Amino acid sequence: MKQKKRKYPLWLKIIFGMILGIIWGLIAVKTGLVNFTEDWVKPWGTIFIKLLKVVAVPLIFVSLIKGITSITDITKLSRIGAKTLGLYIASTVIAIIFGLVLVNLVKPGHAFSQATRQAFQLQYENNIKDSEGIAGQLKERPPLAFFEDMVPDNIIAASGDNSKMLQVIFFSLLFSIAIIILEAKQVKVVKQLFDGLNDIILKIVDIIMRFAPIGVFALLSALIAEFSGDVQLFVALGKYAALTIVGLLIMIFGLYPTYIRLFTKIKTRDFYKNLLPVQVVAFSTSSSAATLPVTLKQCTQKLKISRSVANFVLPVGVTINMDGSSFYQAVSAVFIAQVFGLDLNLTQQLTIILTATLASIGAPGVPGGAVIMLVIVLSSVGIPAEGLALIMGVERPLDMIRTVANVTGDSAIASIVASTENEVGVEDFDDDNDN
Amino acid sequence: MPLWAKIIIGMALGLIWGMIATRTGLSKFTLDWIKPWGTIFLKLLKLIAVPLIFVSLVKGISSLTDISKLSRIGVKTVTYYIASTLIATTFGLFLVNTVKPGNTFPEEKRAEFMDKWQGTIDESQLLAESSDHSPLRFIVDMVPDNIINAMGDNSQMLQIIFFAILFAVAMVLLKESQVKTVKNIFDGLNDIIIKIIELIMLFAPYGVFALLAGVIVDFAGDADIFLALGKYFTTVMVGLFILILIVYPIYLKIFTRKIPISKFLKAVLPAQMVAFSTSSSAAALPVNMRQNIEELNVSEEVADFVLPVGVTINMDATAFYQSVAAVFIAQVYGIDLTIAQQLTIVLMATMSSIGSPGVPGGSIVLVIMVLTSVGLPVEGLALILGVDRPLDMLRSSVNITGDSTIANIINYSEQKRNGKLAAKQKAQPNF
Repeated sequence: MKQKKRKYPLWLKIIFGMILGIIWGLIAVKTGLVNFTEDWVKPWGTIFIKLLKVVAVPLIFVSLIKGITSITDITKLSRIGAKTLGLYIASTVIAIIFGLVLVNLVKPGHAFSQATRQAFQLQYENNIKDSEGIAGQLKERPPLAFFEDMVPDNIIAASGDNSKMLQVIFFSLLFSIAIIILEAKQVKVVKQLFDGLNDIILKIVDIIMRFAPIGVFALLSALIAEFSGDVQLFVALGKYAALTIVGLLIMIFGLYPTYIRLFTKIKTRDFYKNLLPVQVVAFSTSSSAATLPVTLKQCTQKLKISRSVANFVLPVGVTINMDGSSFYQAVSAVFIAQVFGLDLNLTQQLTIILTATLASIGAPGVPGGAVIMLVIVLSSVGIPAEGLALIMGVERPLDMIRTVANVTGDSAIASIVASTENEVGVEDFDDDNDN
Repeated sequence: MPLWAKIIIGMALGLIWGMIATRTGLSKFTLDWIKPWGTIFLKLLKLIAVPLIFVSLVKGISSLTDISKLSRIGVKTVTYYIASTLIATTFGLFLVNTVKPGNTFPEEKRAEFMDKWQGTIDESQLLAESSDHSPLRFIVDMVPDNIINAMGDNSQMLQIIFFAILFAVAMVLLKESQVKTVKNIFDGLNDIIIKIIELIMLFAPYGVFALLAGVIVDFAGDADIFLALGKYFTTVMVGLFILILIVYPIYLKIFTRKIPISKFLKAVLPAQMVAFSTSSSAAALPVNMRQNIEELNVSEEVADFVLPVGVTINMDATAFYQSVAAVFIAQVYGIDLTIAQQLTIVLMATMSSIGSPGVPGGSIVLVIMVLTSVGLPVEGLALILGVDRPLDMLRSSVNITGDSTIANIINYSEQKRNGKLAAKQKAQPNF
């Protein structure tokens, strides 16, 4: 007689993978297995990230088309669109203001020693020059460059470049609107094709997620092994790092639940339980684009947000809604000002809010991401960009938590938009076989 | 007239024209006005390779009803490919150790060649060094992070194969009704692509003519290289012919019994000709698939999977060539290779032919890796670079013949299995 193996739900396995990864990383550091980990464990993490990324572009394209074409009238579409943008901007502004309040109250920069400052500046001189160069190019762009960049001039080239997601979204929107405007019988086969492709891609995501526990394990153990030498950096930057982490955690576990409670009927407990796999993947990959497949799957299949809303709101959110990153920029800018003994007046702080918001919306897919945007924010209020050196060392771990905040924010907004449109709790008839 | 006859005539005429052109000073005319048609033919074949691999793999795998069959065919394919590559490498070592082509190589020729090819070697060496040697790199490289980008690059075939398999497996796991339209579209696309290949093949005799005329004209000045490397060149050539005419037929005889050798060789001849004139097994893939399915009755589900995978991971002749070249260089330099070193060569040649698809510079870079693995001087490469192109042409023909052989063997074993299952099911009610 064959005994039925007990099946653990996926999120539990992922958490397991994460914990084992951390443990393995620590053991590897202690026992000199760092090289072994780099050679034989880390590649599986890389493969996991690549798998998630490979499915991201087709997923955005197909799911947007499927989501939008199921909205039959254009007015509803433009209403959802306006709501999404409005809420994303609002939540970003709130995150930045929260960051400013926090950093002005705690003042982590005042206790920073002069000697450490100089040591850091020497160490990261080159990185900063690179970032400054890129930021300089970005600043010279005309104000409408954002819209210009959003429009692809070749959709195959745009689809072949993972940093051009906004262009893919734009083209998908155009494509879907054309489908809506046409008569149903003219586009019947196209619709059926996209239905089929959508099912296939979601199934691929399912297959990939079976590999998630191993992927998460590999990513985390490699991370621990790589960063073991930098522990003293954390101590030196203790107050700043702690502040950022606590702030991000407050956003994840305090701010978004409040949104959910105020604006939706979803129970916060359900929200967290279903979002946990998303957060773990975001944490270990530190890429919200790589996490998108998981976010979409959990939001539609577990949170029961309708496809028409989730398929639109979430991909857009990946590129333009970065609450965690904006929060981080505000905190870091003021922290650097404090270390350099610069006092920022109210206008300057308002400028930070404005620039950080614009940067988070307008610079999707900028290589180097949040660091480049930070350079722009710093220079907008005249803080020396060299100050960046202070925070570079702890950038990577903070990036991981930022990503968690970003994807949680996207999901929260998607829940709100869906609730106001009465699009929550729609049955999703896809088989889900992972718990 | 059948297609293969036309292709052979094209080849023969190309050879003749090339010789006439070198004699009568028409070389420039040939390069300007004839060679481009060969390039066009090559581009056409490459153009169709990516869509063909994707569509035929998806069609082939999604027509399987259960995943266990896929993994069975997959395991068989990889095992047979590795086994045949190992045999080819060992055979190469045996041959080169018996014939010893390097022992009679004159000293002054060696110095002359090294001067001539120094630049190429430096470049290849850089390439070989720049590729990262972490052990799992092969698997990491196999996974694309953007499928459109991978499809836009002819050297990323393995990534396309990977994604196609993932896509097709997802299709198998879904309900029939969910993927009906997608399946229909892939069926249609498959037919269209196969028709396109037929159209391209109409052009094959001219393409082959142009390619060969171009090759002859290009190499006219280098005739003395062939003479100097005579023994080495002959060893490799004879070895490759033995692979095609003796080793593969033996495999077929042992493992399939049914297929007459003459029928097999006749069926793959057009594919061999295309591989020979283009010296690219990817370019020959469309023809090879068509010939196997239509002439040798290999089932589509087998051919669609086994042959594209073979193009990227099964390179019998390349592995054979690496072992012969490595030992030849050692002989010229008067270095004696121990058994352990020879085994290292077998292992390295097999692994690199499987694990490095799409390495820029192809087998030359691979030879460097093999040479360094047993501590042979990389400069020795200079000795063999001169005759690499003609040998490469032959190698490609052998590689695709190897792919076809394995495809036929797997096809036969699957058929036998199906036959047994059917017999069992028939017998069942009687019990």
